[in-house]
Amino acid sequence: MDDGVSSASVGRSISRLETREKLTGAAKYIADLARPNMLHAAILGSPHAHARILSYNTTAARAVPGVHAVQTGADFPDGRMGAFVKDEPPIAQEKVRYIGEPVAVVAADNEAIARRAAQLIEIEYEELPAIVTPEDALAGNAALVHEDLANYFMVYDAVRYGNVLSETTLSEGDIEKGFAEADIVVEGEFETPAQAHVAIEPCGALAEIDDAGRVTLWSANQSVFRVQANVCESLKLPMSKLRSLTPRIGGGFGNKMEAHVQPLVVQLAIVTRRPVKLILSREEDFETVRVRHPFKIRMRTGARKDGTLVARDTEVILDGGAYGDDSPGVLGYSMLMSRGPYAIPHARAHGRLVYTNKIRSGAFRGFGNPQMQFAGETQIDEIASQLGIDPIEIRLKNALRGEGPWFLGQKLASNGFVECLERLRDMSDWKNRHRAVATAGKRRGFGIAAGAHISGLLGTGAIVRLLEDGTVVLNTGAVDIGQGSDTVLAQICAEALKVPLDRVAVASPDTDGSPYNWGTTASRVTFTTGRSVAMAAAEVETQIKELAADMLECAAADLELRPGGFVGIKGVPDKQLPLFVVSLQAHWRRGGPIIGHHSWVFDRPAVDPKRAVATGMPFRQIGVYSFAAQAVEIEIDEVTGKSEVIKAWSAVDVGRAINPASVEGQMDGGFVQGLGFALTEEVVFDQGRIVNPTLMDYKVPTARDVPHTMKTAIVEAPEPDGPFGAKGVGEIGLVPTPAAIANAIADATGARLRRLPMTPERVLDAMLPAEDADAP
Amino acid sequence: MNANIEIALTVNGTARSVTVPAGETLLETLRERLALTGAKRGCNQGVCGACTISVDGRPVRGCLTLTANCADSEIVTIEGMAIDGALGRIQLALEATGAVQCGFCTSGMVIAAEALLQANPHPSAAEIQTGISGNLCRCSGYRMIVDAVLLAAAAEER
Amino acid sequence: MDFHRPTETSEALRLLADDPDSRPLAGGASLVAMMNARLVEPTGLVSLAGIARLAGISETAGGVLSIGAMTRHCETASDMRLAGGRSILRRAASRIANPVVRNMGTIGGSIALADPAADYPAALVALNAEIVAAGIAGERHIAARDFFTGWYETALKPGEMVIAVLIPRTPAGSVGVYRKLARVAGDFAIVSVALLLGAENGRCTHLQVAVGGSGPAPLRLPQFEEKLVGRPLDDLDAAALGRALAWISDPVDDVRASADYRRRVIPRMVEDAYRRAVHKHGAQR
Repeated sequence: MDDGVSSASVGRSISRLETREKLTGAAKYIADLARPNMLHAAILGSPHAHARILSYNTTAARAVPGVHAVQTGADFPDGRMGAFVKDEPPIAQEKVRYIGEPVAVVAADNEAIARRAAQLIEIEYEELPAIVTPEDALAGNAALVHEDLANYFMVYDAVRYGNVLSETTLSEGDIEKGFAEADIVVEGEFETPAQAHVAIEPCGALAEIDDAGRVTLWSANQSVFRVQANVCESLKLPMSKLRSLTPRIGGGFGNKMEAHVQPLVVQLAIVTRRPVKLILSREEDFETVRVRHPFKIRMRTGARKDGTLVARDTEVILDGGAYGDDSPGVLGYSMLMSRGPYAIPHARAHGRLVYTNKIRSGAFRGFGNPQMQFAGETQIDEIASQLGIDPIEIRLKNALRGEGPWFLGQKLASNGFVECLERLRDMSDWKNRHRAVATAGKRRGFGIAAGAHISGLLGTGAIVRLLEDGTVVLNTGAVDIGQGSDTVLAQICAEALKVPLDRVAVASPDTDGSPYNWGTTASRVTFTTGRSVAMAAAEVETQIKELAADMLECAAADLELRPGGFVGIKGVPDKQLPLFVVSLQAHWRRGGPIIGHHSWVFDRPAVDPKRAVATGMPFRQIGVYSFAAQAVEIEIDEVTGKSEVIKAWSAVDVGRAINPASVEGQMDGGFVQGLGFALTEEVVFDQGRIVNPTLMDYKVPTARDVPHTMKTAIVEAPEPDGPFGAKGVGEIGLVPTPAAIANAIADATGARLRRLPMTPERVLDAMLPAEDADAP
Repeated sequence: MNANIEIALTVNGTARSVTVPAGETLLETLRERLALTGAKRGCNQGVCGACTISVDGRPVRGCLTLTANCADSEIVTIEGMAIDGALGRIQLALEATGAVQCGFCTSGMVIAAEALLQANPHPSAAEIQTGISGNLCRCSGYRMIVDAVLLAAAAEER
Repeated sequence: MDFHRPTETSEALRLLADDPDSRPLAGGASLVAMMNARLVEPTGLVSLAGIARLAGISETAGGVLSIGAMTRHCETASDMRLAGGRSILRRAASRIANPVVRNMGTIGGSIALADPAADYPAALVALNAEIVAAGIAGERHIAARDFFTGWYETALKPGEMVIAVLIPRTPAGSVGVYRKLARVAGDFAIVSVALLLGAENGRCTHLQVAVGGSGPAPLRLPQFEEKLVGRPLDDLDAAALGRALAWISDPVDDVRASADYRRRVIPRMVEDAYRRAVHKHGAQR
């Protein structure tokens, strides 16, 4: 198949296009960029969780040799930014709302001077009562994190009051009737912590202003367009005055989707009229950007004796931190996921999102779904265990099949869930699992969990241009954050035009020249942007055929694209033209250059009003569903309670694997991030202060903490809306993971853990309640 | 001695001379003075491994190494790992397996993995996991990186 | 900041004495990290890298192993003279951080910092090691048990530095176990146990147990150990020693684990380390 010229691109495991750049150290990330005459910036963070700012004294900082600007909230415009609610100023103004929140920023000749000067800024505060837990936030007489909540602009109809930023209620069927039909009901409270993204690249940005006052901004980001919107909203700048670009990105996972330091550097560039770069330290990245939402979940699930699930009721509180960010989306989406990939006829979910005086919670791979499946998939295991049904069989029995529909009524156009469960059962040799013998001093257990995740949401576009020589430039505005979308989109484009992959160049996202792309989030780039690429390429194909029809004196309908970059008459092998000849014709004789473009937003509604009731849903249309099932084999040290995952298996329905190795890479990486969430990772707060904002104290898994045996089976249930049938895979790898590990721990020890992370301490406590706590 | 120290060292085979303050790390010197930005600042605490470079044949943390302490040392960074543009065995294997995702850990990972193979030409998967345990990767889950090192070791054998 | 790189210990001591706010720089693994985080801002650095006397491991006439202060963890982790009971130290060294950091960090630097959750303190206390310290006034030997005095505190006097660590011979046929519990590979210990066991004819002849990560300094109870010496190996209540160690422990709640958990797990880990040692002892016969 690989003849070097005509081989197909889709379905091949091609290394990322920029691999060599990355392997030789040549790839440029934000910290690697420099501009002539560039200044370096540093921030000063708030020492208080909640306080009124009374005064600033910047005299000493300004006096430091090499300092060029000191800016505080008093100097910044008073715009407000936010994805769903415009509640966030560019820098703290009037109040500080979390410890570490930037209150001042300095530009100087180098980073060391800027950091030293920032420490010399004196700010007088009046401390206010700090809201550090959701319970504080919901208390009757609680201090308000945002006094102006009612006046903030919101992009959807939210229910909001006090410190409650959003409230979502979803229901389908009759929950009371459902529980009345149940023979058994399991009920539990689940708690998940804040998790830090820990992209190995910390956040940073570089802004430069031109003589006309227009700013060019490079930053570590997941969407040049969200960067542009956030900066311009918060600095009250016309969007036409800001051009947002991207260097290579060192991982995102949600952390770089909305703004971080971009408004700060733009302000400094405007004030100093010089290029300014700001790169966060690891500690600042932990303390000032965002975290995964801590969830408190109360869930009840009811089933009949035969294992048929009949009812589920879910009550959730999300700790949103100090600003709205993507939180309303996470709330609504997690509620939508609360029923899991199962046909449970009666379901209800109610959730509240509260402000607290802590770092903002925001998008993080999974978007609330791993938390929700931790609860849901634990309860399914409990029901299976109580009824003596195999955990895979109970899931097969209740699995959404065919068109579904999903909770609230959206029909599934593609659904490989049952096949995922069956493949997982085979690949893990599930029925023989208990033949494995535990190492001495260890207990061995097996767990399984499943989940589904959307790909979709909001606007996307693609422009495909055929150059004079028949090569192609693809421009989508989608930021490749390391997950490989440039490569996958190029594969789609090359396949659609039947040209070799090396003839397709991918343009770097640029708000001046790229079509709008909401962002690299929601597992959406392959599905939504890929579809736009395929459609734009189809438009190019149409134009090629129109021109070629004249040149070959035939009807356009009689023409076909041929591998290697040709167009020819069907059935007549020697009647063909190289694409460059057609392109030259277009450029110089007829019509102008061949450009195909396409724009799209996923347009099927999530809620069928005839089936379901939904209030406080921030999205009307969401996306298509990918499915996954995971199994893990673990060992638990009987002495300490420490868990070790020995093997992991995943089966995932991605519609069509455009690049199978990339699919596996997403599944491996997602699984290990989920393993960290399950076992070791927690951002620990003490009165709003992060206790462990370093990699010494916050521990992500190393190569030694993960299984080398991680196997992924790819299931392909083609999605009619997707490019070549593809749908997303970016997030689903960790959606079932904490639950799979929790279920394995229960299998090994008999103990159910309902709180993450499942540290040795918590496992041992659950294994041996108070058994050996006696003194000598 | 005064605050700024002149240090002569060899970087990727080229003799260099730099004048640095005593507290300057080799990572800063490479990135800011010598424009070698392949080694990354991921944590500046020696934990993440993105700044791993080779000093006198041993992989070390660039962020924990003071340039002033490196007089006459031989430094090799990721920029020196491809000889005349030809990728080394680890680089080739990482490319072949598709293990590279965002790339931010890659420079340090290549240096650490190469040192591992020099010390142990035929490592097991578990030995590789230990050998690269000081280089955090948040994208790959490590599996393909370990496979790549196994592949590089096997390729060497042929 | 000044920077010096002397070639003699005496010169280093004089430079340190001249500027009390200067610091000796060993491998840099901790000091430079702290400087980067602006936790320490010394006025001068005295690099010990050029002092030949501080490098490497040598064996004295009496069979004592002398580990120079600038010996890197990777060297200690791979020196097979650290065998039998002394393998505790080799294993402890091999569990510090990760291979790259072990190429940098030194035994002198590590113990002078005296992080109670680090790997060396418990291992050295279990082995009855001695620390050779030198100051302007001369050299002295400090028992490891007396060296670690508190959270990040040692018996070193101002102006003194670690020259070497002496590891005495361990009884013929003795075995060592180093058991470490950490959140992830390379992290500091939640709890660590260093245990040396000597036995003859099925009876315990030597038992030396130290626990790390459980208070300001390593824990050890020699009198309790002595009560167990002489017991048959299969009837020796190591857990009781563990419970006593837990009882005298003074752990804190931190991000690694709670104090309660540490107290709870110490006896379990001591008992387990003992079991492993008995198994090792049986295997070597």
